[in-house]
Amino acid sequence: MEFVLTQLSGFGSAFLSLSSDPITYIYLISSVFLGIVFGALPGLTATLAITILTGFFGNKIPLDYSMIALLGAYVGAIYGGSYPTILLNIPGTAASAATAMDGYPLAKQGRGGEALGLTTTASLIGTLIGTVALLIFVWVLLLVSKNIASPEKALLALFGILLSGTLMSEDLVIKGWIAGLIGLAMAMVGLDPLLSEPRYTFGWSYLLSGFQVVPVLMGAFAVPQIIEGLRTMEIGKMVQLEGRILPNLKTIRKHMPTIARSGIIGTSVGALPGVGEDVAGWVSYGVGKSVSPDGKNFGKGSIDGLLCSETANNACIGGALIPLLVLGIPGSPPAAALMGAFTINNIIPGPTIDPDIILRVVAIMVMASFTMAIMGLFTARIFIKILRIPQTVFLPIVMVLTTIGSFSVGGGINDLYLMLGVGFVAYFMNMLRYPIAPLVIGVILGGLFDETFRRSLLISDGDLGVFISRPGAAILLVMIIALVLSQLPLVRRIFARLRKKAV
Amino acid sequence: MDNTNDINDIAVLRARDFWAALVLIAVSAFFLWRTSYIPLFGGNRAGVSGASWYSSAAIVPLGVFSALFILSIFLLVTAIRAGGAKTALTAVGIGWNRFEAIRFGTIGIIIGFFIVGLVPRVDFILCSGLLITALIYGFHTGNPRRMIMSAIAMFIPAFYALAMHLPQSEWAAPHDDDWLTLVAWIILSAIAWRGPRDAVARATPIIAMMAPLFLVCVMAFGFRQNVPNRSGLIFSQIEYQYYVNIRPIWRN
Repeated sequence: MEFVLTQLSGFGSAFLSLSSDPITYIYLISSVFLGIVFGALPGLTATLAITILTGFFGNKIPLDYSMIALLGAYVGAIYGGSYPTILLNIPGTAASAATAMDGYPLAKQGRGGEALGLTTTASLIGTLIGTVALLIFVWVLLLVSKNIASPEKALLALFGILLSGTLMSEDLVIKGWIAGLIGLAMAMVGLDPLLSEPRYTFGWSYLLSGFQVVPVLMGAFAVPQIIEGLRTMEIGKMVQLEGRILPNLKTIRKHMPTIARSGIIGTSVGALPGVGEDVAGWVSYGVGKSVSPDGKNFGKGSIDGLLCSETANNACIGGALIPLLVLGIPGSPPAAALMGAFTINNIIPGPTIDPDIILRVVAIMVMASFTMAIMGLFTARIFIKILRIPQTVFLPIVMVLTTIGSFSVGGGINDLYLMLGVGFVAYFMNMLRYPIAPLVIGVILGGLFDETFRRSLLISDGDLGVFISRPGAAILLVMIIALVLSQLPLVRRIFARLRKKAV
Repeated sequence: MDNTNDINDIAVLRARDFWAALVLIAVSAFFLWRTSYIPLFGGNRAGVSGASWYSSAAIVPLGVFSALFILSIFLLVTAIRAGGAKTALTAVGIGWNRFEAIRFGTIGIIIGFFIVGLVPRVDFILCSGLLITALIYGFHTGNPRRMIMSAIAMFIPAFYALAMHLPQSEWAAPHDDDWLTLVAWIILSAIAWRGPRDAVARATPIIAMMAPLFLVCVMAFGFRQNVPNRSGLIFSQIEYQYYVNIRPIWRN
């Protein structure tokens, strides 16, 4: 009880100090607005919003404002994806894909206003559930993480990359792993962290410092999106928005169990390293379909179905920040972009992070979620107008933004060459259905894996038993082996046979 | 999507996987060979003895590229088993589509030459204006002729800038490449203006002019960030006016 009160008082003082600064509101309102716009425009994503803003602000503005802008855009973009999903049947972001199942049918039934209002409320409650979880669990994990040493960190990084590869693959799981390994391989470029041995620099001095995170993020997420988006795209037939947007409190009360369950699922999925909001949405939708009394109507315009995915994808934000802040392992692709922003602001997420920063993040999340809700309920029609802008008009501007952002962070043309190279590679990977998120997570966690793995071996004098003798490391190793084995066709066949026998 | 389409998509995907696996095998083999350049046993760097295998800088890359090599072989086997090798050299396998090739090729030329040729050497406002005009004009209607026209409009000034001012010492001045970019932008805008003037066509010149101007000024003077080519034709004038005439207004 005392712990909770301490937490709340810390949060309260962080909230007060932020909310008493007028500049806070300028950054908050504009970043949430921009986030919703990025989410609402198909082809732009939350990750892209954070990446572009990272390049735009760099480390030239105070850290608090930078965090407000980035978290505001994150919260706004995940929510903003629901607009085209409900009105056009085109998911604005991958996170809203599950929302299309019931959002569009509801709009066609003339309940678009109601759907948007409920989505906004569910997103608000979902974000708050994730934020409360962040406030509570981050400290529990911080206490545990004090005992996490190099072997656990190395295996955790590897587990994060493999899990991301496994869950983000649309086609073969092996492709997700390959993408993760390509990211790891990219992280090997430059001076090695222990002996300063140059690796794969080919005599180019720029590569001595390795691949910079921001140009890689810009290349991986922005360039393929721009190339892919520059097609003649007919804007789908937009359903006329009917009914009032302000939600009915009775309806919200009635669906509160669904919202609470989806919030918990979303937060839990978010806390898994490198998975993300889209997976959270689908998992919550799947669970909802099997446990909800309205399950048979899922896909036909069910309010329950709509709330399942929309609550979960926003709750995932808080969840994704837990491993990021505690362990330095991003819980989702946008969180990976956030990590890049933290890094250029000289904040090293992990067990040594300043607790004050965590409290500020929580306070910003609460402020951002309420700002998002107010904007969503009272200015929805502005965002609906924005949906009419064709991709071929805004994507060229995004290209300019990406270029200037990538240049300004590193301050060199070489960063642009890197962005271009990574961008073309990522485009072809997209074309071949390789997930890009594991690649980025591999780049971000590669350095950590390399350093901690070798440090473990140095400490144990080359004894690989160090990864088994420590309980935490042993559990992680078992999880990694189980994860890999679970994807092998032979093992899957055996399990299928065992299941048949059991039946 | 019906079943037939799904099967076709999978066939194309497996054929491409076959090629991708070959490329990945070659790349991972190359980097495994490059890893042999990093001392694995008995290295001594900066006075630190790296005599043990486990302290070597090669140990993790060796594992990463070996794993990549093995997974690529698995992918190759999967692709062959799914019939990817059989269709690999057919039009289906390569997934050749003339329109898509033109689309990707022209986007590649526009973005590639913009970053490699123009951004380092030409005023950023000018080359961004040209980029925005080229992309909107070329791709808004999906007409291949327009795409090619846009690619040419970007290629000519970029190629000139590359050919005439390749070394870094010549990036800041003279401004002949800036002028050529401006001419290319004006010509492309005029061509666009001659076509059907829908709302997008009417808005393009304004967007192409205002967006980069606003972004560069906000970045340079608002957030004090680094912007490309500060000595460019337009930005150098803006910067001069800002520091000499505008800033003193509130400084004094």
